[in-house]
Amino acid sequence: MFLYVLLRLTVVVLAMVLIGLVVVVGTDRLRRSRRDVRRRARAIAPAAAVLVVVLSTNSVARRVVPDGSHIVGIRATFGVDATWWIYELEGGFLPWLQSFETAALTAYFSFIYVYGYVFLLVFPVLAYLALPDTRPVRELLVAYSLNYALGLLCYLLVIAYGPRNVMPELVDALMYDAYPRYQHLTRQVNRNTNVFPSLHTSLAVTVALVAYRTRETYPLWYPIAAVLGLSVAVSTMYLGIHWAIDVVAGAVLAAVSVALAARLVGRFSPGELLGRFSVEGLLGRLSLRERLER
Amino acid sequence: MDERRSNPTASSRRDVIAAGSAGLVATSAGCVRRARNVATRDPVGPLSVTITTAVADYDREGIQIARRLAETLELVGIDASLRTVSREELRRSVLVNHDFELYVGRQPEFSDPDFLYELLHSRFAQESGRQNPFGLTSGTVDELLSRQRRAGAEDRPDAVAELLSVVARECPFAPICVPDEHRLVRDDRFAGWDDAYLGDRLGYLGLEPLGEGDLRGVILDTLPTKNLNPLSVEFRNRGIFVDLVYDSLGALDGGDVRPWLAEEWCWEDRTATVTLREGVEWHDGESLDAHDVAFSYRLVADTSLGTGSMPAPAPRYRGLASIVEELEVEDGRTLSITVGAEPEPGVRAFLVPVLPEHVWEDRTDDATLFGFRSTPGTTEAIVTDNVPPVGSGPFAFADRTERDWLALDRVDDHFSRTAEELPEATVERLRATVHPRSTSAIEAIEANDADVTVSTLEAYSIAGVTETDAVRLVTQPPRTYYYVGFNVRSAPFANPEFRTILARLLDKAWLVEEVFEGQASPIASPATEEWLPDSLVWEDGDPVAPFLGDDGEPNVSATRGAFERAGFSYDGEGRLLARG
Repeated sequence: MFLYVLLRLTVVVLAMVLIGLVVVVGTDRLRRSRRDVRRRARAIAPAAAVLVVVLSTNSVARRVVPDGSHIVGIRATFGVDATWWIYELEGGFLPWLQSFETAALTAYFSFIYVYGYVFLLVFPVLAYLALPDTRPVRELLVAYSLNYALGLLCYLLVIAYGPRNVMPELVDALMYDAYPRYQHLTRQVNRNTNVFPSLHTSLAVTVALVAYRTRETYPLWYPIAAVLGLSVAVSTMYLGIHWAIDVVAGAVLAAVSVALAARLVGRFSPGELLGRFSVEGLLGRLSLRERLER
Repeated sequence: MDERRSNPTASSRRDVIAAGSAGLVATSAGCVRRARNVATRDPVGPLSVTITTAVADYDREGIQIARRLAETLELVGIDASLRTVSREELRRSVLVNHDFELYVGRQPEFSDPDFLYELLHSRFAQESGRQNPFGLTSGTVDELLSRQRRAGAEDRPDAVAELLSVVARECPFAPICVPDEHRLVRDDRFAGWDDAYLGDRLGYLGLEPLGEGDLRGVILDTLPTKNLNPLSVEFRNRGIFVDLVYDSLGALDGGDVRPWLAEEWCWEDRTATVTLREGVEWHDGESLDAHDVAFSYRLVADTSLGTGSMPAPAPRYRGLASIVEELEVEDGRTLSITVGAEPEPGVRAFLVPVLPEHVWEDRTDDATLFGFRSTPGTTEAIVTDNVPPVGSGPFAFADRTERDWLALDRVDDHFSRTAEELPEATVERLRATVHPRSTSAIEAIEANDADVTVSTLEAYSIAGVTETDAVRLVTQPPRTYYYVGFNVRSAPFANPEFRTILARLLDKAWLVEEVFEGQASPIASPATEEWLPDSLVWEDGDPVAPFLGDDGEPNVSATRGAFERAGFSYDGEGRLLARG
């Protein structure tokens, strides 16, 4: 079941990405960038490596951290059991949002939550790779890493269950009841206490913010990313998966991540970093030292 | 919750002391005495309570009961909040650590009223586990619990009736309702679904396959894929899979206990001579004998087997095992077991699982974590995952993927295969797959990806079931009930009057309609119909703790009156005052 769902996801997203590349990026750009693939790959390698490390530790950490932190007492000492606090603060908002429920909206938001979201994350990486300037793609990748890393820290400290877990009768878990198979997918990647902040929202908003920064290069992408990003944010609430507070926190996390990424990418250019740790760099410093000693 | 209650108290007391000490210099001894008298009184503050409950992923109805109760308490002047946890954490907090004030729970089994012995006897109040989580210590209740055990068949109904009446007055927990047990099965794959209760081991034996292939079950709970320890209270509710892997002397069949691992038993007064079946082996090839049986009862009474600094009783089966007073091994196949009860409830002692001594004798030390010893009394036997389990049952553990599925394989030389009178395993493999929600479980059965929902379906999903020639909804007499439990160890919950008023703030009929969508029956007392005296039967309303209000809405002034009559008072803002 899980494999079938995964396969379907891959095929659909692949189709969306291909269409996006042709429409947004254009065949000219794609053709030209083929010659420059190596240089660009080398330029983004550090940022991509960081993301791979963060993602691989993240998937383990999301499962292990809740148990582990209980043992070490981190949660007992610093953690906040926030579910009831959030419920009392905004309990009425989601039922209100869901009062607009229609079959079409449920279908739309379910599609956005699963397919739209994955497309939103994958497409800009490829689109920015088609640019001679590698800075946008590096910023994006670093921002992704920051989202995951900071998000995990929040999960460690804030223990909260989502609205569908507290108000099952009011907040229908619309997607899971309309399309039960999706839960096989999301169950594989998450724990039900990891709701604050909404990483769906933060990553989607991150993409939209970076799209805003590159709006002159890709004028068509910015509005698409904005609409999709907003839809993802709303979908997490409409589907009863996140509280409004999680979504707000997700947007804040996105802003912080993008701002930090812009600074970090400017400061440590990968070329310099590579140089510093490369063989020639080390030799260079060694020889300098030798000279000083003489 | 405690902090919120005590903080204003502490600071106001400090203020008084500070003010007092400034004036002390110029005052006499009499004033000091007076100052001390004034400053050392704890004020009675507004009451705030915390209700512990599992969230909807684990208990869709429980969280709604808890929320409704919290809203009702707020309306009558009690500050209420919810502590939302996982099912495992709920059991750990409530049953193991007694760290709760109120909680919403579900009793796994109550077919014979003797279950109340485990639940309420004061001898268990200090222990961790299913036994007496409320901390009730009542001489009257203890006495009646023993009496119903010792009463003959004729007197027992009266003894039980009296016990139930006293329990209703004491109100250590408020019984709410008995939810219907719905399961979805495929009639084109197996026949015999209705022959036995599907919440128990016998339900999965004796099924008649109508085609090829495994028996494919669906469960809504990941816990059996993580832990298969029959003694683990956090991970077990009914323990269907554990019961298929382990045998017990007797097996529950309907309401009766019939010989299972025991070939027969004969009673002489309160002593049963039990003969085991011949040639029984553990799944690892070792042979099972009477010493394993004796060992199992000793282990439940004290999982450290006397080697620890203190006894470490098992958190499950404690009530059943406590029926046994004396146990002697006569020879490899024979035991004589003396029970502190008449044979009628006494035979329930034979439902304790029989564990292999050669595996469990090494689990009596306190568990260690990174080389550190855990809390005394937390033995390895209690905390082990026990994967793979070595049992003697009709199915043996085959494989699992945590959170996803669990597979058991038939044991071809199990005694049930040759004993004529016993139902046997009819499939080579039983595979249980975890599904996240009832809706996806239903989809799996309808798509012929599974044959039976081993877990019961949640009430809300029943309306979405489409029955066909092949797919059928099986509804069996329910064996569990929902309740709100009180921690009577601490004020104001120590007061039975107070508990009764809280029980009267649960509109059970409303909850059954709104939360269970009518798929449950409200109850006033925790017993099946045959045991209930007329005075405790729910007819048009609750005869014991009628709701203080109408149609789900509490009557605030009536509730206030009830609290005031019980000796409580309200402040100017309509908040209930209580010492806590």
